[in-house]
Amino acid sequence: MAALDQAETPDADTREIGDVLLRVDRISLYFGGVRALNNISFEVREHEILAIIGPNGAGKSSMLNVINGFYHPQEGTITYRGKTRSRMRPYQAAAQGIARTFQNIALFKGMSTLDNIMTGRLLKMHQPFWMQALYWGPAQREEIEHRKFCEEIIDFLEIQHIRKTPVGRLPYGLQKRVELGRALAAQPTLLLLDEPMAGMNVEEKEDMCRFILDINEEFGTTIALIEHDMGVVMDISDRVVVLDYGRKLADGPPDSVRSDPAVVSAYLGVGHD
Amino acid sequence: MFYREAGQFKVSYAADQAIFPIRQDQIGMAMILAVAYVVMPVAGSEYWLETIMIPFLVFSLAAIGLNILTGYAGQLSLGTGAFMACGAFAAYKLTTAFPDLNIIVALLLSGVAAAAVGIVFGLPSLRIKGFYLAVATLAAQFFLIWLFAKVPWFTNYSASGVISAPPRAVVGELYVTGVHATPQARYLFCLTLVAVLALLAKNMVRSSIGRQWMAIRDMDIAAEIIGIRPLRTKLSAFAISSFYCGVAGALWAFFYTGTVEPGAFDINRSFQILYMIIIGGLGSILGAFLGAGFIVLLPIVLSRLPLMLGLPISTATISHIEVMVFGTLIVFFLIVEPHGLARLWRIFKEKLRLWPFPY
Amino acid sequence: MEGFLSDIFIAPFVSMWEYPVFLVEVLVGGLLVGVMYSLVALGFVLIFKASGVFNFAQGAMVLFAALFFAGFLEAGMPVWLALGASAVVMVALAIVTERVVLRPLVNQPPIVLFMATIGLTFFLDGFGQMIWGSDIKVIDIGIPKEPLEIHGVLINSFDIVAGVTAGLLVAGLALFFHYTKIGRALRAVADDHQAALSVGIPLQSIWVIVWSVAGLVALVAGIMWGSSLGVQFSLALVALKALPVLILGGFTSIPGAIVGGLIIGASEKIGEVYWGPALGGAIEDWHAYMIAMVFLLFRPQGLFGEKIIERV
Repeated sequence: MAALDQAETPDADTREIGDVLLRVDRISLYFGGVRALNNISFEVREHEILAIIGPNGAGKSSMLNVINGFYHPQEGTITYRGKTRSRMRPYQAAAQGIARTFQNIALFKGMSTLDNIMTGRLLKMHQPFWMQALYWGPAQREEIEHRKFCEEIIDFLEIQHIRKTPVGRLPYGLQKRVELGRALAAQPTLLLLDEPMAGMNVEEKEDMCRFILDINEEFGTTIALIEHDMGVVMDISDRVVVLDYGRKLADGPPDSVRSDPAVVSAYLGVGHD
Repeated sequence: MFYREAGQFKVSYAADQAIFPIRQDQIGMAMILAVAYVVMPVAGSEYWLETIMIPFLVFSLAAIGLNILTGYAGQLSLGTGAFMACGAFAAYKLTTAFPDLNIIVALLLSGVAAAAVGIVFGLPSLRIKGFYLAVATLAAQFFLIWLFAKVPWFTNYSASGVISAPPRAVVGELYVTGVHATPQARYLFCLTLVAVLALLAKNMVRSSIGRQWMAIRDMDIAAEIIGIRPLRTKLSAFAISSFYCGVAGALWAFFYTGTVEPGAFDINRSFQILYMIIIGGLGSILGAFLGAGFIVLLPIVLSRLPLMLGLPISTATISHIEVMVFGTLIVFFLIVEPHGLARLWRIFKEKLRLWPFPY
Repeated sequence: MEGFLSDIFIAPFVSMWEYPVFLVEVLVGGLLVGVMYSLVALGFVLIFKASGVFNFAQGAMVLFAALFFAGFLEAGMPVWLALGASAVVMVALAIVTERVVLRPLVNQPPIVLFMATIGLTFFLDGFGQMIWGSDIKVIDIGIPKEPLEIHGVLINSFDIVAGVTAGLLVAGLALFFHYTKIGRALRAVADDHQAALSVGIPLQSIWVIVWSVAGLVALVAGIMWGSSLGVQFSLALVALKALPVLILGGFTSIPGAIVGGLIIGASEKIGEVYWGPALGGAIEDWHAYMIAMVFLLFRPQGLFGEKIIERV
């Protein structure tokens, strides 16, 4: 992963939680009369792993959708890298370095693993289409240079054997991994993971945890993830935000959240994992 | 036995990314080109060249165009005929307004004109999807054909509305259109142009722009979230697709029929091209050629079959049967292999790799 | 140029103002053509609602039904028998279609099914004309065609019969969909194939039923169209006009199909009569599609369609 290291994180192994990268301030989001998010505020700091937890329907996915510009909240502001953003489209969020994966895998089913990951790289590719059509000189060089980068991601995620398989044919666990690869290809500053371990067996979960921690440590990527498996959340996250019915219940390090009475009462008897 | 890639190791990404990475395929392609360039013009009769090979090439080009839009970018279009007509009329206006313009330049410019029209009619694709978009492209189909038929400026105020393509040479006295052009010259010109454009199309679909099209096709929301701008990507597909269709339309009028008339590009033409890409294979450049070949040859075979079998069937009945068989074949193909001839070819190759062993 | 602009922006309105009776006649004529479009669109909506199939063959089914009906009449059958026999043909067609086309393609993406119906269109066009020939046939089942005068406005009595028939058909279908067990099953299937299967709704027989109903609607439409225009190949092309109607009304709404048909019919006639001459005529060819396309830009889900909420 030499290229990755150089590109993003000269200080790879000295991970330090830095300044605020993203500030969500008093966000409210409605669908018709339904209030999906109610006056939510929290911060994501550089290089940290933030977990967003809460029961189904708590508004976790909606929150991620707001962060990457897919939903437009009716109230509140989002400040990313010190800039308060106005109404934006998802592709603009991507251009600013926000990448994500989805709860229900959103891969490009008709394309191979390699093509999926290469597609994730598109914001770094700048040759005009006529050069691509000629596939010659700079265009070919660019294609090969990014192929090299994507091959490194493929090595990192240990999916070499499926690089030319259409992703539609892959089992669920591998698809999740390819989707992570596609998000990584963009070398994101902020990586949003929507239930990266849902529906996985223990081994697959362990692999995925390892990937998440490695990404965070080696490249210094800031990660915000949604997860239901409390064991995983408590193990890997630096901080936890708890949502319930669109409201924020708690926000803090895993240990303090675990003992928070509001969280306990919301979760007790619900029987989560 | 003879189709093995064992021993062929790729040592660079460039080699791995080649269009034909396996040596046997490279040899096969070279042989096809040799037949197309040498055997056909020498051995092929005028009938073969004019009624089979030239329309086959023109259709292939149009099918590549539609395949870029529908097969790769996932935007269903029923307006292919109209975009072909744009190219045909643009070529006519260009060649008559600027008689000194080289025919190659004129053809490419008519593609650009068609691309511009394609962009306009592609604008609704931002808001509407799937079948709704298909119906919207019908607006292009009916409106443009009506426009070319009704506005006399397009036909240079010709009384009949049917006009013949002016003779033009590539260089010197080498005429490729009009009455002086030999079938061989016309055929070779079309062949070269189609081969070059097909190569460019193949390059596009295996590059970043092609991956963006496919991403939009497979899941437009996810595509936008990883940074693809939907409108720009869709419009680029409309533009490039229409460029190919436009050039195909110009070739049709100048090299195949020799006349420019709106009637040649009606809704049935649009459907015809659509079948080609269905039967050939959506999202495959090879499929465009296979589909075009199939659709060009099928009616010829069908119309000759009763004659060869000695069955006394009237021509009207034959044409009805033809239509019926056509419809049946489409359904049949969709049931057997929804991904078309190109997929069948790939499966065949995979089997051939192992032959004579079953696996 | 000035003359042209006046022909577009002034003259039509002046003429409408000066001859209101003529305007009403044009409008009524257009509405009744619209009813015909609605009839075709209706069969389409039924199939789309129940099976999610974009049935391009609906127009061909109209022609097919009309060809058989006219053929049976020519063969000397009385009207009621010809009607019954054609109905049997349409039901048989539905059964065969389900067995041969739909069942093998179950779970394929919608575009594949759409293309299969294009294949079906060709088959029906070829098959119908192979049996009955491609000459223009006349259907005369005794619907009066004399013009009636109502408050000084001339209306073709045939058009009134067509309008009433369409109205009855729609009312009947609406009742069928809302108050019968089959109707409820149909709506369940439309919502979610797998969920419907899992609660024990027999998908295949539902499809046969809905294609049969669509076939019968096509038969009614075919008789109506055939009586006024003659049975000929161009019927299948007229039926293409049902597509913009669908866009206007939304693919899944029965009232939408009716209202959409009326709007398209009326605006098309008015456009042709008042603006056609200035533009060179035959704007009917594309008028409906343009209206539909512009409309889509503002309301992508159609007049009565459900709002599309996108999720990830």
